[in-house]
Formats: sequence, structure tokens, C-alpha cells
Amino acid sequence: MRKGRRRKLVLLGLYLLATAVLLLMISPYLYMLLQSLAPWREVDRVFIPSALSLQSYRWLLGGGLSTLPRPWLRAWGNTALVATTVTLSRVLVGALVGYALAVLSFRGKRAIQNFILFHMFYPGIILLVPTFLLVRAMGLYDTYLAMILPGLVSTWAIFMYANFFRSIPKEVVEAARMDGAGELRIIFQIMIPLARPVTAIVFLFLFMERWIELLWDMIVVRDPAKQTLNVLLATMFGPYGGYPGPLYAAGVLLTFPILVLFLLFSRRFVSGVSLIISS
Amino acid sequence: MRVLKAVFLGLLVLGLGAIAQVEITFWSAPNPSQEVFWRQMAEAYMATHPGVTITISPMPETPTSEAGILAAIAGGVAPTASENVFVGFGSELVKSKAIVPWNTFPEWEELVKARNISSTIKAWEFPDGNYYIIPMYVNAMLVAWRIDILRELGYERPPRTYSEVLALGERLKAKYPDKFLWLRSELEVPTWWQRWFDFFVFYYAASKGKPLITGNAITADDKAAVEVLRFFKTLRDKKLLITEPLAQGFEVGKTVMTVLGPWTFPWWKENYPELVYGKTFVLTPPPVPDWYPAEEPVYTFADAKGVVLYAQATAEQQKAMWDFIRWVLSDPEHDLAWVKVTGMLPARDDVGTNPLFTAYINEKEPALLPYAESITFAVPPIAHPQFVEIQERMGLECIYPVLTGELTPEKGWEAWKAAIKDLLK
Amino acid sequence: MKRQKELGGWLLASPYLLSAIVFFLIPLGWSLSLVFFDWNLISPTRIYVGLGNFREAVTSPRVYNAFVNTYKFMAIIVPGVLLASLCLALIVQHLPWLKQFYAVGFFLPYLASGVAIGLVVRGLLSYDSPLNEFLRQIFGSSPRWLRDPTWATLVISFMIVWKFSGYYALIFLAGLQGIPRELYEAAALDGAGPFTQFRKITLPLLYPAFYTVLVLAVGLCFGIFTEPYVLTGGGPRFSTHTWQLEIYYQAFERFRAGYGATVAVLNAVATFVSVLLIRRVVESWGAKRGFR
Repeated sequence: MRKGRRRKLVLLGLYLLATAVLLLMISPYLYMLLQSLAPWREVDRVFIPSALSLQSYRWLLGGGLSTLPRPWLRAWGNTALVATTVTLSRVLVGALVGYALAVLSFRGKRAIQNFILFHMFYPGIILLVPTFLLVRAMGLYDTYLAMILPGLVSTWAIFMYANFFRSIPKEVVEAARMDGAGELRIIFQIMIPLARPVTAIVFLFLFMERWIELLWDMIVVRDPAKQTLNVLLATMFGPYGGYPGPLYAAGVLLTFPILVLFLLFSRRFVSGVSLIISS
Repeated sequence: MRVLKAVFLGLLVLGLGAIAQVEITFWSAPNPSQEVFWRQMAEAYMATHPGVTITISPMPETPTSEAGILAAIAGGVAPTASENVFVGFGSELVKSKAIVPWNTFPEWEELVKARNISSTIKAWEFPDGNYYIIPMYVNAMLVAWRIDILRELGYERPPRTYSEVLALGERLKAKYPDKFLWLRSELEVPTWWQRWFDFFVFYYAASKGKPLITGNAITADDKAAVEVLRFFKTLRDKKLLITEPLAQGFEVGKTVMTVLGPWTFPWWKENYPELVYGKTFVLTPPPVPDWYPAEEPVYTFADAKGVVLYAQATAEQQKAMWDFIRWVLSDPEHDLAWVKVTGMLPARDDVGTNPLFTAYINEKEPALLPYAESITFAVPPIAHPQFVEIQERMGLECIYPVLTGELTPEKGWEAWKAAIKDLLK
Repeated sequence: MKRQKELGGWLLASPYLLSAIVFFLIPLGWSLSLVFFDWNLISPTRIYVGLGNFREAVTSPRVYNAFVNTYKFMAIIVPGVLLASLCLALIVQHLPWLKQFYAVGFFLPYLASGVAIGLVVRGLLSYDSPLNEFLRQIFGSSPRWLRDPTWATLVISFMIVWKFSGYYALIFLAGLQGIPRELYEAAALDGAGPFTQFRKITLPLLYPAFYTVLVLAVGLCFGIFTEPYVLTGGGPRFSTHTWQLEIYYQAFERFRAGYGATVAVLNAVATFVSVLLIRRVVESWGAKRGFR
């Protein structure tokens, strides 16, 4: 009896600890949300506002009298556009190339695999300046394409899909081939549906990564109408120091979609995590 | 038949008009009121000049407007013209052959006369004899005081010398221990352009306007500079100067002194209507060292910027822009609109004398009077093309170590001079 | 049939190959030449400087600070994140229900944009924030969070540890879940208490996870950018300056393309060598104790 009670107390303590730590971990998000809904005189002066106010959101979307509105909503749209396009492309190419490397055999496959490894581990930072110069030379400076084109492929995605497809028994593919299916049908009707857990993980991670990208987008786009929300927020960090409320609102716009996305897909995410770990 | 002819002629005219349409772009400063001004001007101009399309957009302001302009030039997407360029940046642009002179246009002398800038323009001549920048405004920096709080402390007028300021500070802390004299969180950050609004202001006041750098030599008044640094350090030690980030200071009465440019007034009008000139705040030139004679005028720093024309634009675009700028600047009513919209004083010889301006200022913007009076004693920014490093090192090697006590004011000043030796070649 | 397969393989790989040629090989080649030129992106002239860029970089106090700061951050972040993520994993492991809920919850910090979190940090640490008011009431003064070199470093490090702990916790969690329960049961039968079990069973068997997190954390320190960029600009006095800040500053604020590329090369070399060294050290330490 005493042992059982002791165990219950330990468990209770553990859950209290876990919850406290959890709250600590997500407290910045809560702070951001609360401050974005606080009346301006109270922003950053109190932890919990005395009353909720939409002043910051209204200002963010409509602008004040002495300031012209920055295109915050548009920036959010830009982020969504760029992140979605790039991630879809990365997932698709990842699946196609992953399939080719895992299932098919052809001359030069080895070379391509080694090349991909080289690419994956090559320090990207060295390529930053030359890629910028390349984009500029292509006449793409300050365009959406500048944010999208260089990132259409992810070696990590290829790696993940290749790994996964390798684990699928060869019989599955062979059976489909005997049924007369062409490669594309095999890929789209069999392999990709099988790879759902991988797709979920790859998509979630790549999307999140692209969503919060800062450096590249800051370098290649100058026009505020085309900037992503992350970049816009970074550029407004200093100048709008006197208007923290709307900045918090922008932060909420930037952060919460990803949080919601991950929470919605948390089941798939958790089941797929082991896949990442094993890589 | 007649209808067809008319339609054909109409289409021809439209077509020709389309071909003859020149498109020019103008970047306004990252200050919303300035953008508003230029948009008004562009709309009015386009209404009477159908052959040209002018697009106004605000220039990027991060990391700095200068870097934004350079980035656009580097990316091949520079505008036809922009404002917000001061002599130092202008010399950097000239060095990279990125801008072209205005005075090579035939109507140059005409404009100088029409806008009444023959005296003002002298300071903007470049070493090669050309004028690459047409000044838009000259903003002398003044110091604002919360006279309402000063009155509570027994002061009828603001302090003039450093000792008087310190005495005020003591009384302030005695009555309001949580208040500060001056909030200047950027003083400890080496951002180059912030020096304009703290060190330069006090230095030019203490040194009677002695230039820091002339050509490639340091011509600063060392005694004055060290005095200013010592003043900052003393203020900070006595907790009168707060150098940490604080959201609101002067506007909410948490501090009683601040360095102010006239562009702040439109923003105050909207967000802090309780700040009324004469009642809540007053303006004075910067405080000076104790040994500064009381009868002599006090100099200050002037943020002075103007319009430049970019080399990347075609000859046709440049001509069209010249015509637009000429039109804007030749009419004093436009400069009056500038005052009304931006709250800043245009760079003209007659700002203090032309009744067009004085009437408006006296009636609607009395706070601008002290600014108008200070223009003669205002020193423009450093003209050296390496201005970024020069001013950055001032913060890094001199101001921060002095404020944190690492270096004495004398040593700090020497440190800065030593640190920029390699730049002045 | 075989021909088709050959073609098919290459066809499928073609989008990757195209992208890699344009956005990987071409910049790679370009970078090899860039480093030998002094090139201001604005002006039309390019000056050959040979090894001048390298000479400038290795004698530059800014680069030196970036170099040293990486190890300074490492010294705080690596132990910090190892400890934090291990603790988080242990907590989740011992919860009988809602494991997934807490695991995902701990992971959430990883999803934030550094800019948005920087905003929160700046607000929390501003002079008149409730936190600082509270500290002043208790201790009489509040730290100069972002104006003091030591505090600034700690703030940035803390932000990074916060961001990655939940993510690395998942790695430890996978490791923990891979330990057979029978080992614990056997040890309990032998009379070993929970702490002994932890020391003798859990830690040794977590070696692979430990190794992974260590290498990840070390590599991470070479890429710190966003947090100092928005909060400190690399200051005060370059105490939070990093490689990527320097590259960005030189290449995109001062427009020195050649020099910026040079610093990038040095960054890559420093990363590679450091990670290699640390891996060797840890591997030999592990081998001595019979791990892996």
C-alpha cells in the first residue's frame, strides 16, 4: 500500500515537473501571443495584460497615420508561397531520385550517389556569395524566382526517400513490373503511397526550415512587397522598436502557422521521427 | 470613313504617346512623411506632364539606407534618382562611379537661382568641382527638455553648461529616483550613423563647430572631444544617462532630455499629442562645457541630405528626372509643402527670411523656429568616403571603452585616432 | 528493356542533376576564383590580390573574434544542450501516459524563427520589463543583458540551447527506448538502485545518441547567425560575433564579394577540422571504455 502511494506521489511529481518544463519551453510563444494582444501602454511592461486588445493587429494590417503600412499580410503570403512551392518540389524530386537510386540499377548510379554525398556534406556557406552573384547574373535579383529556384532540390530528402525505398522488399516492385506497370506508375501508385510516413516527416521538416529561412531571402530580395515575413520582421526589428506590439503580432503570424501544422500532424511526426534518428 | 480616320489617329497618338512615355523611378527616404511628399509631387507633375511616368517607392532602410542603395546598385536595380544621400555617402558613390553630376544640365544655374540656394550649395561642391547632390534639407540637431518636469524641479529654463546639467540631474534623482536625465541606448552600440545623434552633436557644440576630419587629416579639437567623453561618462556613472534598451523615455517623462530632429514632430503629433512646444517641452542648442562663453552661439550637428542621380539610368531617364526635380524645387510653394508634410526645413538660403516660410512656422510650427535659427551654426556630416569605418571605430574603440571605464576619456580619444589612421590615406 | 532502364534512371535523376549543376557546381567553381580577387560589387573593376584576402582575414580582429567566439559558444552550448536534452528525454521516458504530448511539446521551440524569438528576448530583457523590475527589487540592479559581453553571450547561448534541446531530446529518447528493459530488471535484482542503474546501464548504452548529439551541437555552433544578428549585431565589442555574421557583413553590407567568399572558406575549414578533431577525441575516449 505504501509503495503504491509512494509511486503515485512520484508520478505526480514527475508530471508536475514535466508540465512546468513544458510551460517553460513554450513560454516565449505564450509571451509573444499575450503581448500581441496587449494594449500598447502595457507591451513589455507586464507579463499578462490587464485587457485584451486588437490594437496591434489592426495597426499591423492597416498602418498608423504617421507610418505607411508595410505589407505584412503580403509578406506572410510570400512566405507561404515560397515555402510551399519549394517544399513540394523538394519532396517530389526527393521521391523520384530516391526511387531511382534505391530501386533501379543503371550505369553511373554509383557516381550519382557519391556526388549526392559530396553535395550533402559540402559546406554551403562557401556557396553563399557565388550563388548570389549567379542569381544576379541571371537577372533574377529581387524576384520570387531568386528565392525559389536555388532551393528546389534537397539532398536530405533524396537520402531519406532512398533509404526508405531500399527497405521495401524487391518483390513489390517486381510484382508490379510483371503486371506491366511502367516506372512512373510504380512510383506514383505504389512507392509514394507506401512512403507516407517519410513524406510527412520530410515535408514537415523541409517546410518548417524554408519557412524560417532568413539569410538567403534577406540577401536576394530587396523589395518589401516581395520579402518574406521573416525578412520583413528582421528588417523592422530596429526601426519599429518603438512599436513592439505590432511586431509581436507579426511574430505570431510568422510562428503560429508552423506550430499548428506540427501539432496537427504530431502523430505522423512522432511515428516518423525514428526514421530521422536512424539517418 | 471619318470615324475610322479619327480612330486611327487616336490610336496613332496613343501609340506614339506610349513610345514617348519615359518611366523613371524615385526612391524616397525611409521616412513615411517624405514618401508622402514625393508622391504628392509626382502626382501633380504627371497630371501636367503626360509623357512621363514617375514611380515613388521608399528605399530599404536595413541594414542602413546606404547599404540598401548599394545593394540595389550591385543588383543592377538602382532607381533613376533618390534622396537621402549625404556628402560622405555621395563621395563613396562618386568613387564607384555610381552617380552623375547635376550641374552638367543646362538649366543648373537657373535652378540655383530659383530655389535660392547659391549660398547653401557651396558646401555641397565635390573635389572635382561638380555638384552630385542637390540638398533637400538641413536638419540641425537640437536638445529637447521636458520643461514641465524641469519646472517641478524649480527650473524656469533648461541648463546650459555641463555643471548645470549635472546639478539638474541631482535634483531630478532626488525627487524622482526612477527617472533618468537622458536615454541613449545606442551610445554603446557602434552603429556608425548613431554617432551623428549623440557624440557629434555634443562635440560640435563644445568645439565651436571644428570639423573632425578635413580631407585626409584629423582636425578635431581634442580638448573639446575629451570633455564631451568625460561628460558622457559622468552622466552614466551618476545613473543620469541610461544606455540600455528602454522602450519609451522622453515621450512619457521617464527622461527629461533628448537629442531631437524635426522629423520627430509629425510622429509626436499622432502618438503623443500631450507634447506641446513651450508647455511640455522646449528646445535649446546642445549643452556646452563650463568654459564655453555664454554670449557665443552654440554649434551643432546637422543631418543634411539631398537628391542624387544614378549612372545606371539611361540618358533619357536622367533628363526626365532632371526636369521633374527642377519642377519640384523651383517653386517655393513646394518647399512649403515639404515643411508642412515632413516637419523639416528645406535647404534654402531664405528659410529664415522668406515670409512664405516664416509666416507658416510662426503660426503653425513654432517648434521649427529654433531649427531655422540654428542652420547657420550647423555642421554637416563627414565627407570622407570611409565614413562608415571612421564612425564605427569611434563607437568601438572610444565610446564603449570610455563608458565602461576601460579607458579614460583621453586614452579613448587617442584610441580612436589611432584606429582610423589606416583609413585616412 | 535495359536501355530504357538506363535512360529511366538518368531521367528521374535529371531534375536533381540540373539543379546541382546550376546551383552547386557553378557557384563552387566561381568561389574558387572569387577568393583571389578584391571585388566591390558596385564598381566595375576587379582587382587580383592573390592571397591578399586570406592574409587580411587571418589578421583581422573581427575574424579572430568570430573564430574564438565559436569555441566560446561551444563551451556553453554543447554541455548545456547535452544536459538539457538528456533530462528532457529522461522525463518523457518515465512518463507512463501522454509521452507523445510532452515529446512534441518539448520539440516546439525548434520550430520558431530566430527573429520572432529575438523579439521576445529583447522585450523580456529591456530595461523596464517586468523581469528586470523584479530583479531590481530583489537585487537592487538588473544585469546589462545585451550591453555586457558576458551576459550577451549567455543570452544567445541560452536561446540556442532552448531551441535545440527538444529536438536533440528526441534522439536521446530513441536511444533510451532502444535499451532492453530486462537489463534494468536484472540490475534491480542485483540490488542496484536507480542511480547506479542510470550510471551503469543507461549512460553507456546512450553512447551512440550522445555521440550524435555532440557532433550536431558542435557543428551547430559554426552556423550561429540569426540570434546575434537581430539582438546584438555581433557586439558588444564583437563578443557575440560569428563566422556567418562576418561573411554577411563583408559580402552584403560592405559589398566585398571576394573577401566575403574568403571568410566563408575559412569558416568551412574551421568547421571541418574542429568537427573532425572532436569526433576523433570522442571516438577514442569511447573506444577506451569499450563503446561503439
